[in-house]
Amino acid sequence: MREMSIRDALNEALFDLMAADPTVVVIGEDIAGGAGLAGGSELGGVFGVTRGLAAEFGKGRVIDTPISEAAFVGMATGAAMTGLKPVVELMFCDFLGVAFDQIMNQAAKARFLSGGRLKLPMVIRTTMGAGDGSGAMHSQSLHGLLLQVPGLYIACPSTPADAAGLLKAALMADEPVVMFEHKGLYGRTGPVQDKLPPVPLGKGRLVHEGDSITIVATGAMVPAAEAAATSLTAEGVLVDLIDPRTIVPLDIELITDSLRKTGRLLVVDEGTAFGGFADALVSTICRHDFCLLKVAPVTLTPPHTPVPYARTCEGAWVPHTAGIVAAALELMEA
Amino acid sequence: MTPDDLKQVFERAHFIRAFEQEIAAAADAGEVPGLVHLCLGAELFETMLCAQLDGPRDQVTGSHRSHGLALAMGADAEQVAAEILGRAGGLSEGLGGTQHLLAPERGFLTSNGIVGGQVPLAAGAALSAKTLGTGGIAVAVMGDGASNQGAVFETMNLAVSLKLPVLFVIENNGFGQSTSALYATGGISPIARARAFGLAASTVDGGDISGLERTLERLVAWVRETGSPALVEASVPRLGGHYHGEAETYRSANEARPDPLDRFEDWLIRQGNSAEGCHRRKVRAREQARGAVERAIALPEPAPETLEVWSTRLSPVRAGGAA
Repeated sequence: MREMSIRDALNEALFDLMAADPTVVVIGEDIAGGAGLAGGSELGGVFGVTRGLAAEFGKGRVIDTPISEAAFVGMATGAAMTGLKPVVELMFCDFLGVAFDQIMNQAAKARFLSGGRLKLPMVIRTTMGAGDGSGAMHSQSLHGLLLQVPGLYIACPSTPADAAGLLKAALMADEPVVMFEHKGLYGRTGPVQDKLPPVPLGKGRLVHEGDSITIVATGAMVPAAEAAATSLTAEGVLVDLIDPRTIVPLDIELITDSLRKTGRLLVVDEGTAFGGFADALVSTICRHDFCLLKVAPVTLTPPHTPVPYARTCEGAWVPHTAGIVAAALELMEA
Repeated sequence: MTPDDLKQVFERAHFIRAFEQEIAAAADAGEVPGLVHLCLGAELFETMLCAQLDGPRDQVTGSHRSHGLALAMGADAEQVAAEILGRAGGLSEGLGGTQHLLAPERGFLTSNGIVGGQVPLAAGAALSAKTLGTGGIAVAVMGDGASNQGAVFETMNLAVSLKLPVLFVIENNGFGQSTSALYATGGISPIARARAFGLAASTVDGGDISGLERTLERLVAWVRETGSPALVEASVPRLGGHYHGEAETYRSANEARPDPLDRFEDWLIRQGNSAEGCHRRKVRAREQARGAVERAIALPEPAPETLEVWSTRLSPVRAGGAA
């Protein structure tokens, strides 16, 4: 075991993947950096996740693109259909909009439309999350948007081991995977096993164990909820905290097993208040496992507005630990 | 191409024509679930294009109007027909349908329901060929309507920037559904746009057999040998409606619609081939097309379990089972 950041774990996982399989290519904007310029050192991606790859594996496999998300996401999809394993970096998930046809209609449907003859071993790595003053078009958390598109797997890692492991598993899957990396978590450190083993898609992780209340959290809401769980323990409220790791496929059994103990569900998510992941999970539990609930489930999400810019407003927009504690205590009173 | 090759092209193109006519008849008889977009008028061009290609090393992506391309790349006609008819035994067991024909095993990667959506995918096939060193090329076939889509422009630029072996093909039939290409398309011509991106580009008359042979052979060879992208714009008539059965009230009764297959037949006869020989080939093509479509009509529709496999595989909520 060793400690590393999510950024470094992803970087090492990419080195592992590219070294192990010559069909793995990495595609995106500024991922090597400095294309067409005479300067020396590479940028390695705006978040530094792809640094060093071009020097090791060459610019034939670490491919800087023009700012043309529709074209390069579609190119990656076509490449996955014909023998490559592309890892695409979509700098911010806010840019899903300009590439959405290629994701929603092309990547998501190719497996089905081929009757399973085509496999799509590809992953679109993108970033999510507010909290760094990036404003309304560089801060969204759009994982819930993709929930409505059959044919995609969706991962939201919150630890270095999960980030590296889910990335590796994503390239082993037949379905295309979109992985949402929270910008605020890139520097988050944690223990990892020496070889960064794959983490199966569809298996959640029990982060904190308790029998008073079940909290399901994703992305940056996981560490916020961990801190809340510690505070709540001091107040005698014992939290079962679940990080689903992939929201598609969703490990529903881990959640229902927990609800059998607690009967109380709080979902904390940085996606939308209406029709997002939190709503989808509450709906699923209510439809299939209503009898497990002692009280009405609760969701904690940002308000239904674009992400604001001013520090005060952005700070109030993102769910935080104190809010999670308050919501959990309220749920315990219900 | 040898004289025998050209006679085979004639028969193949007529096979596609007859296939489309049989599909139209099947649609009229209520055998087709949805609307079909027939390639009437483009058969000769598509046959000549695909005769230059070597699937599955080469991969073609096409538009919603791709029955002919799939057949020209060698996809099994009965399987293509069964897919269009929504039958078990179709290319994808009837799950895809007329706009979603996939025969990657033969070099026809996919057709598409989104105008222009197939074009970035071809860049991907080109990237695979380049990275894996197969010597293959990719071909993105689209209509003039798609040539106004942003993703198409992005892909042309990307292909130049990354130096990808992809041939862009614009079948210009003058219509985007009911809208004239002259109305919808700014600038001088699609090839002027392509040249502005740095692509090698040519235009060709889709009914001129000599021009087709010369132009397609040159551009395909150029893409293959240089590994660089190119574009060809082919004028092809749309001999039918946007979809089969459309009233086409927007078209003029005086509009000339010269049939490339008639022009080709005249050319063959001028070259010394007999009219009887041409006739025999047309009859044989019609019989084969009728047989393929009739066999497809006789196939059952897929069982509901065909879908259940997918609803299970893609279920977002999966009890216990990791992917």
